[in-house]
Amino acid sequence: MKIKKPNIGILLFVLVGVVPFAAAFVYALLYSFGVIGVANNGFTFQFWESVLASGTFFTSLRYSFMIALVAVLISVGGALWITLKFREQLEKRFLSFIIYLPLAIPGIVTGFFTFQLFSKGGFFARISHKLGFITEASQFPDLVNDGLAIGIIFSFITMIMPFFVLLFLNVYKNERVEELSILAQSLGASANQITQRVFLPILIKKTWVLIVLYFIFLLGAYEVPLILGQESPQMLSVLIIQEIKQYDLDKISEGYVVAVLYTLIVSIAAIVLFLPKKNRAYAN
Amino acid sequence: MFLEVQHIVKSFGAEKVVKDLSFSLQAKQTLSILGKSGCGKTTMLKTIGGLISPDSGKILLNGVDITETKPEKRNIVYLYQEDLLFPHLNAFENIAFGLRIKKIPEGLIKEKVQHMLHSLELEGQADKMPTQLSGGQRQRVSFGRAISTNPSLLLLDEPFGSLDTGTRQRMQELFKKLTEEFDITSLFVTHDLKEAVLMGNQIGFMQDGVLKVYEDKKDFIQDPQTGVQSEIEFWGGLK
Repeated sequence: MKIKKPNIGILLFVLVGVVPFAAAFVYALLYSFGVIGVANNGFTFQFWESVLASGTFFTSLRYSFMIALVAVLISVGGALWITLKFREQLEKRFLSFIIYLPLAIPGIVTGFFTFQLFSKGGFFARISHKLGFITEASQFPDLVNDGLAIGIIFSFITMIMPFFVLLFLNVYKNERVEELSILAQSLGASANQITQRVFLPILIKKTWVLIVLYFIFLLGAYEVPLILGQESPQMLSVLIIQEIKQYDLDKISEGYVVAVLYTLIVSIAAIVLFLPKKNRAYAN
Repeated sequence: MFLEVQHIVKSFGAEKVVKDLSFSLQAKQTLSILGKSGCGKTTMLKTIGGLISPDSGKILLNGVDITETKPEKRNIVYLYQEDLLFPHLNAFENIAFGLRIKKIPEGLIKEKVQHMLHSLELEGQADKMPTQLSGGQRQRVSFGRAISTNPSLLLLDEPFGSLDTGTRQRMQELFKKLTEEFDITSLFVTHDLKEAVLMGNQIGFMQDGVLKVYEDKKDFIQDPQTGVQSEIEFWGGLK
């Protein structure tokens, strides 16, 4: 029997995109209930009860959520501001080339750079010492492996802000925001009104899916929080890997409980966000 | 005179795009301006609308010098060649845009927009997004948005250029109806000879940055530069 081309596409998508993910999820689920695993003796809620009772997962989820949210908000806000203020300069060849550069740097390298710049023995600490602002390394503020996750947020921003600038510049051009702004001005809009009623709504509406996807990506980021995070609380991916690699075999199952919970939360959030919605009236 | 344009000059680099532009227009009248692409029509309109600053000259609107006035304070609306609608707003909100900017009470906005939708024969389309409207409908929304703010002057830059012949004809009729209903004063730029004759109370011809406004339509038809005579000869020759 001849298979139609669209069916081959669907089959490939299922084989490459769905089956491995579903298999890994089922494996994690079975592990979390003790069905499989070296030291496990059959179905049990023990690991789920232990994870839910300890509260580590929820603390870690809250911590990851806040870091991802702050990093995305600053990156998107900064990128919008740069697009609004420096659009013409950014369209020049040299600057448009420069802005692509950070996108080519892997997360792990960004993490190391940030560590070398902001740690107590790093570049800025040494400069501060030379300039006499501090007399010993311990006086330099905690900017990496710190409670406020400043180092992690800084790395995330340097990684994703250039992407958003490029994205917004592209949307600005494609959606003819320049012409629409002139039109709005002609209809009596001030510069602020143009920003609020034309520039921001068009750019945000066209890119919100990517903004949400980047938030989800940061929520599960691994290398940067591994290098720049603190002992506790940790970001989710670091917590999961640490649990799974522990010598205590019970902890492996608990690590899978965290992985299953995280996958469920992100999947449900993605389904709710991307479900087709009716056109909204944009009254005011 | 309601609109007086006096000796406007505008250059881009070494190229003089508008040369000594002078004309006047009475209120509630339409001056249609015929000209080929690149003759300076758009620059002229944008200069009057305040979107481009002239190198020299004066623009008076209702006796007031508005040459240095910001575009948003002129109450002159410039309409693009294409049906450029705000993509994030539905038809209703596109028409209401200028009214919301002017902070008009919500009840009055609803009343005005509903009336406009009726005048534009767009009942039932209020909730549709720009992508759900046809070319003619988008152009009508674009008109409605411009007219709803009661502009002192409407600047139309080849507004029907992208429409098919049938839709174009219907839009021309609708525009004539709207100009009467809403007492609109306008400059109507086109490169279509027939459209220029149909739409304007007065006609001008622009070439190489120089505008010539004719006393009446007969002078326009007689002038060999406008191309009307060669058009008549062409159609006459087909008999």
